[in-house]
Amino acid sequence: MDEILAYAYSDVIVAAPYVIGAYVLIWVALLIFVIIMLNSSKKTQSDIDALREAIERREKEQK
Amino acid sequence: MSNALEHSYNLAQTRQKWTTIAVIALILGLVLTTFDVIWAFFRAPIVASDVVIDPPAVLEGGTVITNQLLFSQKIFYFHVPVAIVSFVLIIAAAVYAVLHLMHHSAETDLRSKTCMEVGLVFIIGTMISGDLWTRHDWGVWWVWEPRLTTYFILTLLVIAYFVLRTAIDEPERKARFSAVFAIIAAIDAPISFGITRLIPSSIHPVLERGDSGMSPDMLIPFVCGIFGMLLVAFGIFRLRLLLQEQKLEVESLKARLEELDRQ
Amino acid sequence: MTAKAKAPGGWQQYCALLGKDIRMELRTREMLVSMGVYAILVLTIYGAALSQTASSFDILSVAAGLMWALILFTSLLGLNRSFSHETENSSLEGILLTPVSRPLVFAAKATSNLIFLLAVEVIAVPLFFIFFMGQAELGSTTPLMILPIILGSIGIAGIGTFLSTLTLNTRGRDVLLAILMVPVVFPLLYACVSATSVALLGIEGQIEIFWRSLLLAGGYDVIMLAASWGLYEFVLGS
Repeated sequence: MDEILAYAYSDVIVAAPYVIGAYVLIWVALLIFVIIMLNSSKKTQSDIDALREAIERREKEQK
Repeated sequence: MSNALEHSYNLAQTRQKWTTIAVIALILGLVLTTFDVIWAFFRAPIVASDVVIDPPAVLEGGTVITNQLLFSQKIFYFHVPVAIVSFVLIIAAAVYAVLHLMHHSAETDLRSKTCMEVGLVFIIGTMISGDLWTRHDWGVWWVWEPRLTTYFILTLLVIAYFVLRTAIDEPERKARFSAVFAIIAAIDAPISFGITRLIPSSIHPVLERGDSGMSPDMLIPFVCGIFGMLLVAFGIFRLRLLLQEQKLEVESLKARLEELDRQ
Repeated sequence: MTAKAKAPGGWQQYCALLGKDIRMELRTREMLVSMGVYAILVLTIYGAALSQTASSFDILSVAAGLMWALILFTSLLGLNRSFSHETENSSLEGILLTPVSRPLVFAAKATSNLIFLLAVEVIAVPLFFIFFMGQAELGSTTPLMILPIILGSIGIAGIGTFLSTLTLNTRGRDVLLAILMVPVVFPLLYACVSATSVALLGIEGQIEIFWRSLLLAGGYDVIMLAASWGLYEFVLGS
């Protein structure tokens, strides 16, 4: 009886790593993408801030 | 304050608003997909496979199990939503491409390109999850089966789209040509989507027509998965768009700075 | 065809453009010679690739695929050359200055490419049969393979003309054309290989697969040619 049940559920243990792995990998792929984007966004924002400062300074000088 | 600076601050404000919306969409999507997966793992019924057990196993509650149970089917609850979203993104890229050809605005080109980029990420997600399932259920990493083949072609088309973009320097022509190619590439999306129904010999599993084929216990997580992934895609699309806009702003600020220096 | 008929004098314009391409080719023979030589080179490579196969090897099961690979590679080379006159002498600008509708330019160019491709196939396909299929037991339906060849060539010439215009003034255009073309043409290739294979094997009861593959190939041709026709003005543009 137990053997039969074990057989009925035998796929679960074999398949679980693949199923969980697939789920994790999808999120890893998405997360890596988001993190790369956020990082580069931060960098660009600091560029923007620096540029703004430079423009402001120059505009004051010219006045 | 000069016009350029004021414009820049205004842009920053709208960006702030959209960043918040994007992050909320991402978190909501994460919650929905997590809910989907937890439900799929613990509540959705395990589908029976073709392997018959003889004699059948009888559980204590009186439930009779006649077939070996197929746990790997549970990949359906997130593999399919990711795949559907990848199709949606490719079609969206084509729609923006059509809009670009009609109005020639730089904005539609940017959106079309961004849709393609996010689409590629989702295509990679579909490929990875699908491959793991193929490895387990079919025992191989890859089969030249109609669905897999057409989907692989879609991947190549999206990659070709980016190769085409890098090969053209002139911005106006680049936008126009990539819009044309995005439309051509999108023709493959419905083909890939429908091929399992078009060619019956395809061994890729097909979702039966109509929702009657799925019990609520299966339908609820599946629908949550689709909406969750759509939200995630929207969030990433918005973030990506913001990043591109930031980069454009850097360019315009740089130009303004040079202009000031010359005066 | 209807669109051509509606435009006054469209047919004459089409004939003039087509005639120009054919006359040019007959004078220089640039495309035909390079495609023909290239086809023979591919056949030579097949000779090396298949040289170690056992005598029991059933060439029929892979023949259709090999033949279509030959056609696709040859057409890629030709399509890269098809606009070379136009760019070298900037005669494309000349054509565009005339009030010829853009899709008409596409139709003429695609037709001339189709004619050249078919001309090369008339030599390359029989050579393929002589070199590799000498001992194969061909099915009785073998002559039917002309149909997928024609449908496939129409699609390859049409899609190829469209994409080679797209890659006309790009960096590394030879490689780029292949990168764009192979995935776009793939569904057509798949259907044509399937139809040709069925025709070559001639197994009874499978002819239905032949017609279905042919229908798929034809459907894809229609979709792609219509898309190319409609989008061509954006490719040539201003």
